Amino acid sequence: MADVRLASVSKRFGTTAALTDLSLDIEDGDFVVMLGPTGAGKTTTLRSIAGLDTIDGGDITIGGHSVAGLTPAQRDVAMVFQQYSLYPHLTVRDNLAFPLKSPLMSLDKAAIKRKVAEVAEVLHISHKLDNKATALSGGEMQRVSIGRALVRDPAIYLMDEPLSSLDAKLRSELRVELKRVQADLGATLLYVTHDQIEAMTMATRVGVLDKGRLVQFGTPRDVYENPASLYVATRLGLPRINALPANVFGAGAPSGATTIGLRPEHIRQGEGRSTRVTRVEHLGDQTRLHLDLDGHALVTLTDAHSALSPGDTLSVTPANPLWFDSAGARVG
Amino acid sequence: MNDSVATRAAQATPPGVARRVKGLSDRAIAWIFVGPTIFLLLAINIFPLIWTIRLSFTNFRANRPNREVEWVGLRNYERILGDSDIWLSMQATAHFLIWTIVLQVLIGFTLAWLINKKFRGNDLWTTIIVLPMMLSPAVVGNFWTFLYQPQIGLFNYVITWFTGADPSSFEMLGSVNLAPWSIIIVDTWMWTPFVMLICLAGLRSIPDYIYEAAEIDRASKLRQFFTITLPMVLPFLMLAVLFRGIENFKMFDLVVQLTGGGPGSITELASINLKREAFEKWRTGYSSAFAIILFVTVFGLASIYVKALNKVKER
Ligand SMILES: Nc1ncnc2c1ncn2[C@@H]1O[C@H](COP(=O)(O)OP(=O)(O)O)[C@@H](O)[C@H]1O
Ligand SMILES: [Mg+2]
Repeated sequence: MADVRLASVSKRFGTTAALTDLSLDIEDGDFVVMLGPTGAGKTTTLRSIAGLDTIDGGDITIGGHSVAGLTPAQRDVAMVFQQYSLYPHLTVRDNLAFPLKSPLMSLDKAAIKRKVAEVAEVLHISHKLDNKATALSGGEMQRVSIGRALVRDPAIYLMDEPLSSLDAKLRSELRVELKRVQADLGATLLYVTHDQIEAMTMATRVGVLDKGRLVQFGTPRDVYENPASLYVATRLGLPRINALPANVFGAGAPSGATTIGLRPEHIRQGEGRSTRVTRVEHLGDQTRLHLDLDGHALVTLTDAHSALSPGDTLSVTPANPLWFDSAGARVG
Repeated sequence: MNDSVATRAAQATPPGVARRVKGLSDRAIAWIFVGPTIFLLLAINIFPLIWTIRLSFTNFRANRPNREVEWVGLRNYERILGDSDIWLSMQATAHFLIWTIVLQVLIGFTLAWLINKKFRGNDLWTTIIVLPMMLSPAVVGNFWTFLYQPQIGLFNYVITWFTGADPSSFEMLGSVNLAPWSIIIVDTWMWTPFVMLICLAGLRSIPDYIYEAAEIDRASKLRQFFTITLPMVLPFLMLAVLFRGIENFKMFDLVVQLTGGGPGSITELASINLKREAFEKWRTGYSSAFAIILFVTVFGLASIYVKALNKVKER
């Protein structure tokens, strides 16, 4: 395991800038999650670190050494590809054993067998070991693909939306499992996703990507509580942060602020402006209230047994709001 | 009143019934479509086959249709299996078959592998390489007869250029040692592009990301070749071998153009021998039996091979 640093990395595809001046420090043992929508440059970041794409500017170091010009093999990284990338003509067992059979690993047969069995166990695919890689469901393929990385002990694990095609139950199970494996091994892991729950639950640090730029980097808690921009604030938190014109609750906005950002839990009920309830969603453990405030939609949470129903009036007032200027930057 | 009952009945008639009323059921339509094909198949494939089997048990001669035909039982088959000429022609076919397949697979795969590298102008190269395959065998045969000319032929000239031997000191088509190789060379020249195209299809079917995954998994280029490229192209390669094998088992045109079976009968392949027996010696019954033996051989070999091919595909 090693620390990985990106220093003002840029990468273009023709006229599209996939990455722009991207700097990122991944400490040894970090679980970094990069969050961004489709096209933000997540895959490109991973491919650049792995050496599958050559960067146009900047530098990448692994364990303190620049990896410019090195092949993926020399960089000693393990990667889980977004589109599985299994060896279709091999069995699950042979897919998992493939990286272990590299002469660079110099493992004997028994050691390989043990390692494969161990990883298959963790990922719940032991019963599929003799299947051909093509005779699997999408979720199983994804797990084999994760397993093919986990059998190794590389400088860094790179994972490209590895849980995106799994069903909800398995996803939450593997979230916990991945986090545990990473902590046990003390592994360095760069994980990209568009799923904020994965970011919040697994990351030691979260990076938020916007059109090839890293717009914020910090602990999940810090990024959630102190978002640098409205864009970052909307990427984390569910239901999403409510963005309203700064003056809907009257004066009090700091100078320059044009937007007030209210997370659902930052709305106090029972005083202030009166709103009309438009929809009530009972989720079991909590209830989501959809409100209408002078034509602006607003979502907040209330207790599970709320008696409110559509058409009722509810007074609300902001608590700890976030303020943003017209460009979306944080002003207070 | 009557009117309204009639309209209601018409409206109530389900579409299926309406169609049947017009005269043809789905089944009948299906038969009309496949009927002509089945008829043609019977007329030009199945009937001749059965007729050949029948003739193979007789001493029929097609040039003497009025002679009385006798049943000879298995005598034709017995004589063929003891006929040293036939065995020599089978050996010639085996030699031709094995060497053309070995050479075409090796060269075809190598060319496909080179062409598959992403370099400028590889489409142009593909077109150029594929040209021989597009020519008629008659043209190719004539053309190579000319190239093999000891005095003026380009082939002898080029060999001379490399080895320093006298160009008129050897005759590719005229010498007992070289004639079998002369036809192997021409067939390889003409049909290697076919093998290459099929291999190329196989190579192109391997997605780039598999090689990327192998790079990440730290597999050397050599290991990638043997664990990814070769296994994934193998079904394609085996298909090419099947096509070339069946084609070359019945090779006729090129050899007739080039050597006519000579010198002596050294390049007399089974198919040429068969044609001689049937249409020069007019031993129709005897040659029918030979044709059946060849047919069973090809059919048997091809069936075993296809089984193997399916196993490889399933792996
Ligand atoms: N091979 C490529 N050729 C051209 N453009 C590409 C290529 N790969 C990625 N891009 C572009 O780079 C940008 C970032 O892509 P990507 O890193 O795949 O995003 P993400 O993984 O976050 O969805 C996108 O605009 C995408 O269209
Ligand atoms: Mg991606």
